[in-house]
Amino acid sequence: MATQKDVKNRIASIKNINKITRAMEMVAAARLRRAEQRIEQLRPYAQGMRKLTRRAAEQAGGIPRVPVLVERQEVRRVGVVLITGDRGLAGAFNTNIIRDGMRLKNELREQGAEAAFSAVGRKGVSALSFRKQDLRTSYVGFTDRPGFANAREIGEELTARYVDEELDRVELVYNSYVSPLTQHVWRQTLLPLQRAEVLGEGVEDEERDREETEIERAHSRALWMYEPDAEELLAQLIPEYVNITVYRALLESAASELGARMTAMHSAAENAETMMDDLTLEMNRVRQAEITQEILEVVAGAEALG
Amino acid sequence: MAGRHSFDVEVLTPEGEVFSGEVRQVSTRTAVGEIGILANHAPLLAALRPAELRLHIDDSETRRYAQAHGWLQVFGNHARLLVEEAIAPEELDVAALKEQLADAEQRLAESEEGSGARGRAEKDRDRAEAFLAIAAE
Repeated sequence: MATQKDVKNRIASIKNINKITRAMEMVAAARLRRAEQRIEQLRPYAQGMRKLTRRAAEQAGGIPRVPVLVERQEVRRVGVVLITGDRGLAGAFNTNIIRDGMRLKNELREQGAEAAFSAVGRKGVSALSFRKQDLRTSYVGFTDRPGFANAREIGEELTARYVDEELDRVELVYNSYVSPLTQHVWRQTLLPLQRAEVLGEGVEDEERDREETEIERAHSRALWMYEPDAEELLAQLIPEYVNITVYRALLESAASELGARMTAMHSAAENAETMMDDLTLEMNRVRQAEITQEILEVVAGAEALG
Repeated sequence: MAGRHSFDVEVLTPEGEVFSGEVRQVSTRTAVGEIGILANHAPLLAALRPAELRLHIDDSETRRYAQAHGWLQVFGNHARLLVEEAIAPEELDVAALKEQLADAEQRLAESEEGSGARGRAEKDRDRAEAFLAIAAE
């Protein structure tokens, strides 16, 4: 049976865990707000790009068949980009991505295609190398605060490999951010780039309707100058959507990681509290048992003398 | 409202708004060459090359940025620049840029003419070169 001292020690260490996990919960909550703001800050740029694209497409009479939009007839090698975090302590955040990545690999094999992995985040890199997967490229050290430069590096490297026919398709697997409590594992086809993504169909229809104002009509009547011509401009503009898509995925993953960490640390702190209560009861019981034992010994001694 | 000789300019990057306000002149570089935009410019859509972006706010104040690839739209006395990066020149990291330039040049040497890898290396080289030139000023 545990002595009073044993139980006291355990209570002290669990109290520490409680404090640490509470602090980590608070830190994650504060940083989550910043991460949400960064998702918001991307919006004006992305909307500006769509307007530019629509204007140039109107002039060029449609979207030209630039290499990133062309779908391959035969898909042999698929780039699978797993976006994880650099750190753990975030519940199932990282394992969900790895698990879905392996599932995707099996699905691809059934379709006769092979998966070429890229990993974002130290957790993804170590999980894939542990499983001895074909890990082509890894990007680490920025997952808690991704910059556009990181997204550009990833996006442009994948684009080059797609254009040079090293890859026939590229899929992103990441935690999409719904709310601090909810994140969903999400698969998104990055390349070939989806036309809907470029034209903003579906996602922002409401906003598009509002835009059809006087200004928009004046836009199409005006005599525009293009440098270079509209078609060439589109050829440069469209690949930028790949970078934007990667950047959005990185930002959402960063927010999801913080949300998952906040939730995980919250329940860890709660668990520590429950354990502290249980152990306090346990300590009282041990102390009472010791006292009872001592009284019994005294009584037994007195009886023996009498 | 903008005065007779000034107009509204927005500089947006994916990481947020860098500048928004009235200026007298915007100068930067397009695919064709150096460009200066004054008030009441004709509607224009242009691809921007890495260069020093200068916003002349008035006679005494000019803001300078190291600007990466991007796009410019001018319409109705309002200019909007969508650029991948717009950094204050004093925040440029020369050592990192030199490393990026060396890396881009190596990839350029190893890549095939007309390949995606070549295009990517050229873009990285142009940016690093332009930023280094701005930092050296």
